[in-house]
Amino acid sequence: MKIDKIIDKAYYWIDDHARRTTLTMARKLSRRHFLSRLGMFVAGAASFPLLPVSRSFAQESIEEIGDPQSCDYWRYCAMSGTLCTCCGGTYTSCPPGSEASPITWVGTCTNPVDGRDYLMSYNDCCGKAVCARCSCHNTEGDKPVYFNSNSSTVLWCFGTENTSYHCTVSLVIGASDE
Amino acid sequence: MRFIAPLAAGLLLISPLGIAQITPEEISVETMPERGKNWFIGTTRNGGYIFDATNGEMQGMLSLSRYTPAVTFWPPREEFYAAESYLSRGVHGERTDIIAIYDYENLRPVAEIEIPNYMARLQVRSHLGLLNNGRHLAVLNMNPGHSVTIVDVEDRIFTYEASTPGCAVIMPVSDNDFLQVCGDGTLQLIQLDLSGFEENRVRSEVFFSVLEDAVFDRVASSANGWFLITHAGTIFHVATDDDEIIIDEGWNPRLESEANWRPGGRNEIITAHHDTGLIYVAMHDGPVDSHHEPGTEIWVLDSNTQRRISKIELEAPANSILVTQEDNPKLLVVDNEGGSHVYDALSLSYERSIQIPGSTAFEDL
Repeated sequence: MKIDKIIDKAYYWIDDHARRTTLTMARKLSRRHFLSRLGMFVAGAASFPLLPVSRSFAQESIEEIGDPQSCDYWRYCAMSGTLCTCCGGTYTSCPPGSEASPITWVGTCTNPVDGRDYLMSYNDCCGKAVCARCSCHNTEGDKPVYFNSNSSTVLWCFGTENTSYHCTVSLVIGASDE
Repeated sequence: MRFIAPLAAGLLLISPLGIAQITPEEISVETMPERGKNWFIGTTRNGGYIFDATNGEMQGMLSLSRYTPAVTFWPPREEFYAAESYLSRGVHGERTDIIAIYDYENLRPVAEIEIPNYMARLQVRSHLGLLNNGRHLAVLNMNPGHSVTIVDVEDRIFTYEASTPGCAVIMPVSDNDFLQVCGDGTLQLIQLDLSGFEENRVRSEVFFSVLEDAVFDRVASSANGWFLITHAGTIFHVATDDDEIIIDEGWNPRLESEANWRPGGRNEIITAHHDTGLIYVAMHDGPVDSHHEPGTEIWVLDSNTQRRISKIELEAPANSILVTQEDNPKLLVVDNEGGSHVYDALSLSYERSIQIPGSTAFEDL
């Protein structure tokens, strides 16, 4: 019974303190002053984490070399499927009307321009008939189906509304030396 | 000139009589003849073409879904079982996965059983396996985690789904059990009860490294177990004794001068003849990670002596092979240009090529 009373009193104190503080702020600060401070805080908070990351992106934009419609293109070292670059998409975007699978297999490819190894994500684009142009099957680091995170032979149209395979894109998700 | 008119009149009278003597032909539909030796199914993205390898004659066709991993035949019931996957609008719409049952006589669908709609849609012979004296059919799922669906094909009902994370391939052993290959370098034994539910699960010791030298997910049945082969060509024989997994020591048939010769192909790269213990492997000369390169040679290995006894040099490299289980077995080869060829599996002499459009692999019948 005593504990209940203590808890009630604590809640009352918190509520009362919050009410008084709010009233004091409302009397002392104009609305514009408050909004400007709030705006500065939000903008500052939002830009704070961006600063190092955007500097990092600026420094590490990936230099490309070669023909993205060729299976020899450096991003395709562990690619298996058909190239979306030949089907109305790019190496990072699915062709119109298809659906990008969020679940992927991964590989590590060396960019011949900077000699760095990049972690690649191979996402299938799904929900349309197979785009049978530019078939590409490379097996660097490819593993069997029972080790499916590194298996290129799996149809990776998982987590999509439609599960038919259309083509595959290849995204850089990091550098191995980062 | 005066003879022409009577002659023409005579011909006009005779010719209808001649036509009237021919009995009009009627269309009919064949039924399957009695199953012969060395019959096989040539699987494609369009269905299964049934052939007699002895004379190269086609006998009939099973219509299967584009995504069918494999089809298998159970002689006592004269039925085929195929895992199939369909989308309601062809390339989009609701997905339905089924076990389709076809009768032998007419190669027609006679029943179907709906299964969880995430079976692994890859053409792999060992993604399907009959257990329990033909009563239960196991099908590999991928969502993308692995599991195995068990279907009672005698009572035509879905029975059970066993979660098998990190493990794939279905290798039936003893009556109700199957082995799987796992990504941590072990084998997994799952034992079912008579109703098809999991009763026991056992894991072997680590015997390979998936990063250093992975075992292929293509396997070959032997007289009492299974042959596994690694990307570098080391062969393991595995079997079970009740709940014990027995893994024989690995051996590699390569000579020292053949260090870069490896197994490879896009489909079934190893097959074995049970009675003789002969193993056939599609091999090529290539670097590490070339395990999907088709085989320029087929190596013939004797599992009893663990030595290579011969090899076939191919004109077009092989993507998939199968040996039939008869006393005079045939070796069937799909090359990377789509050609299908028959060899005598003992003399290794070429016999014939067969036209199977879109051929990808074979099933024994």
